[in-house]
Amino acid sequence: MEIFRNPRINFLKAKYIAFLISGLIIIAGLIFINRNGLNYGIDFVGGTLIQMKFSHSVKIDTIRKELKKAGFGSAVIQAVENSSDEYIIRVEKIGTGEEEEHLKIAKKIMNVLMPPDERKLATEKNNLNTLSESEIKDLLAKSFPEEKATIWAKKIGEIKKEKKIIRSFEELLEAGIPSAPLNYLKEKTFIGSISIMRVEYVGPQVGKILRHKAVLATIWALLGMLIYIAFRFKFLYGISAVLTLAHDVLVTLAFIYFLKIEFNLQIVAAILTIVGYSINDTIVVFDRVRENMPAFRKKKDLNFDNLLNSSINQTISRTVLTSGTTLLALLALYLFGGEVIRGFALTMLIGVIVGTYSSIYQSCAWLSIWNKFYGLKGLLK
Amino acid sequence: MKRKVEWKLILILLVIGFSIYFFVPPSKKVKLGLDLKGGMHLVLQVVTDDAVKMERDQEILRLKSLLEDEGIKVGNIYGKGIATIAVEGVPSERERDFDALIKANFGNWEYSGVVEGKAELNLKPKVITAIRENAVEEALETIRRRVDEFGIAEPVIQRQGLHGDKIVVELPGVDDPKRVRALIKNTALLELKLVKDGPFPTKEDALKKYGGKLPEDLQILPSRGQGYYVVERAAAVTGRDLKTARRCVDKYNLPAVCFQLNAEGARKFEKVTSQNVGRQLAIVLDNVIESAPSIRSTIFDSGIIEGSFTGEEAHDLALILRTGSLPASIKIIEERTIGPSLGADSIRKGLKASALALVLVMLFMILYYNLAGVNATIALIMNMIIIFGALSLFRAALTLPGIAGIVLTIGMSVDANVLIFERIREELRNGKSPIAAIDAGFARAFTTILDANLTTIIAAIFLFSFGTGPIKGFAVTLIIGIIASIFTAVFVSKTIFELLYFGKRKVEKISI
Repeated sequence: MEIFRNPRINFLKAKYIAFLISGLIIIAGLIFINRNGLNYGIDFVGGTLIQMKFSHSVKIDTIRKELKKAGFGSAVIQAVENSSDEYIIRVEKIGTGEEEEHLKIAKKIMNVLMPPDERKLATEKNNLNTLSESEIKDLLAKSFPEEKATIWAKKIGEIKKEKKIIRSFEELLEAGIPSAPLNYLKEKTFIGSISIMRVEYVGPQVGKILRHKAVLATIWALLGMLIYIAFRFKFLYGISAVLTLAHDVLVTLAFIYFLKIEFNLQIVAAILTIVGYSINDTIVVFDRVRENMPAFRKKKDLNFDNLLNSSINQTISRTVLTSGTTLLALLALYLFGGEVIRGFALTMLIGVIVGTYSSIYQSCAWLSIWNKFYGLKGLLK
Repeated sequence: MKRKVEWKLILILLVIGFSIYFFVPPSKKVKLGLDLKGGMHLVLQVVTDDAVKMERDQEILRLKSLLEDEGIKVGNIYGKGIATIAVEGVPSERERDFDALIKANFGNWEYSGVVEGKAELNLKPKVITAIRENAVEEALETIRRRVDEFGIAEPVIQRQGLHGDKIVVELPGVDDPKRVRALIKNTALLELKLVKDGPFPTKEDALKKYGGKLPEDLQILPSRGQGYYVVERAAAVTGRDLKTARRCVDKYNLPAVCFQLNAEGARKFEKVTSQNVGRQLAIVLDNVIESAPSIRSTIFDSGIIEGSFTGEEAHDLALILRTGSLPASIKIIEERTIGPSLGADSIRKGLKASALALVLVMLFMILYYNLAGVNATIALIMNMIIIFGALSLFRAALTLPGIAGIVLTIGMSVDANVLIFERIREELRNGKSPIAAIDAGFARAFTTILDANLTTIIAAIFLFSFGTGPIKGFAVTLIIGIIASIFTAVFVSKTIFELLYFGKRKVEKISI
């Protein structure tokens, strides 16, 4: 099978249109990001995140309404994979700065979302779904031998791990918990309708440091690339590559803004990976340009754009194929990788497309422009 | 030619064999990160101001007692800011005495004399830095001990950055944040106990001396150095009575440890030491004897532990004494608790995504390159095996972003194969014979592969240095994946080609 057989496309003909499109996206992105800010996750602004599973389905509007009543009007609520019984709730910097504030917030949110009759029950007994394995063990050990309590608690832990939430005591019976400890648990605990899967708290000062570090890491990575490419090729190639990468980062950021992707640590990782991927693409083309140079020098017309175009054409099938397989893999990740990784996968999907496009319409386009300004000096090795 | 292929095969089998050996069975050998296993990630900030204030307050006490000794009566002494001692009402006729006293005893303080009966002492910046640094190190040590005592497997406890005041604590498998929070903030058990007898080489020897049964009021404790001591069960003084301890020098200018007790402790300690001069006092931390120096004189609120210490030993002992009380309060500035069910869920999804990615990419490669595509998929599978082998070998934890890195590697690592195959096709189109085309394809694609992958590694290294926990996991899998892909795509694929086509008399056509 072959997609391209001896392609002879004049890619660089469209470079100004490409610059225009990229420029517009970048400028629009920068303006909006500057005005409204990115959809920062708690990593970067601080706050509390709670992921909870309900035993029944709950409408997102109901949650929003209840939270608003309790004073969390600005909370961001996100359904996990479009389900109606699992949600991630993000409360950003309530900011009393008080110690263990997040625990109080988590408790309050849970309280608000509980059915009223359960709220009353919760003042008397513990919710089995929020007890940890060791707490269950300690509880059972009060009236059963230690080893037995350990085994049962472990078993209950496994059931919870498997199902995320226990819906009834019968479930435990079916799973093999004997009725003696079960009756004891029935007496001491109740099956609540909410199970907490994750609580994250990030203090406001952490975010500031992280933002600073993220920008620094990106700049250093770009500098590293510049030095490597300037060393392996020529300085102008290094400059072109870095401009390309800056383009990729900015275009991706614009998409992150417009698609309202939550900007967290993983997104920073995605952006740095895109930098790595994009440079890969660029280098493959540059390498081909370098390889074609000796033959090019012997020619009469010395049209640098022709050299660029033929190098792009020679590598285009590889460029498309590799992007294709990478996109396939990322698609799998996006579809099935779960909520936590979805933003990362989406950002990478965008970045790979942008990086592929930019290896032609940025890297090579810049080389073409340098040629217009400086002639062949500084471009041929 | 034939020989060489065999050696290559052996090398490949060895690499794969070792990799499999390292990570099979994966349930035991692949270490899971917090986000997959569930657990607790904490970033603590040591409020080092506390330590500076504590030092200042102690110095105020010292100043007061020194002034008292000299009979200098001043109006008021109090702390200002975090590192300033203010003195008011210094009688004008005793100003010179006051000056002399400060200059002789308060070398760590900047002091510019008495003006209108007022004086200010400012702790020198260098000393403040040292106190802060000390506070963070101490807190780290204290927390590490406590976590070890708690029995959490494979905890990570380290400073964030080299000179920061933050400590990162990662506790995999912990499902009880309440207990851990208490553990980190509670005080460890430090006790000073009178030695009855010892040291004994073994516990049995100690028991034998007491006829096999120890009286109720005694107990046998192991010594950190070696051997066992019989000590009194009741502690003369506990860590709760300790205010602080630091390394200092004794009257012979030898390293020693100075400690201070609070009022309650001082009372108890005075009584015990005055009655037991000449006996040994065991310094017990978590039921292990750190040292058992002799009591040389009555000790009041503060004392000095002399012994044949080296400077480091004195430092360590002081540090251990201090472990009982945290040097400063600790603030939790980041806390992430991942329940085990979420981790299990993430693993299931990660596996699903990886499997799908693998199948899709393999199908694509075989469809596009036929037999050569099969070659690439073999390289891809070996790449996966090497990644897991390397992860287990380096004891690097697999995290959710790490899985993302692996999925990404599945897509990206065939790049090297694609580069080579496209080159071979090109050479074939240019009329080269199949074998010559394979050789040229590999040779010419190699520089490109190297250049392209090295730059990706540069990016990944910066990512690694930026990242915390999970992000580091991502960078690690990415780096390993890239290196492994160079090996598999270039070396393994070439060997497979050689096995298939080389050495045959005539190769008319290759499937690519």
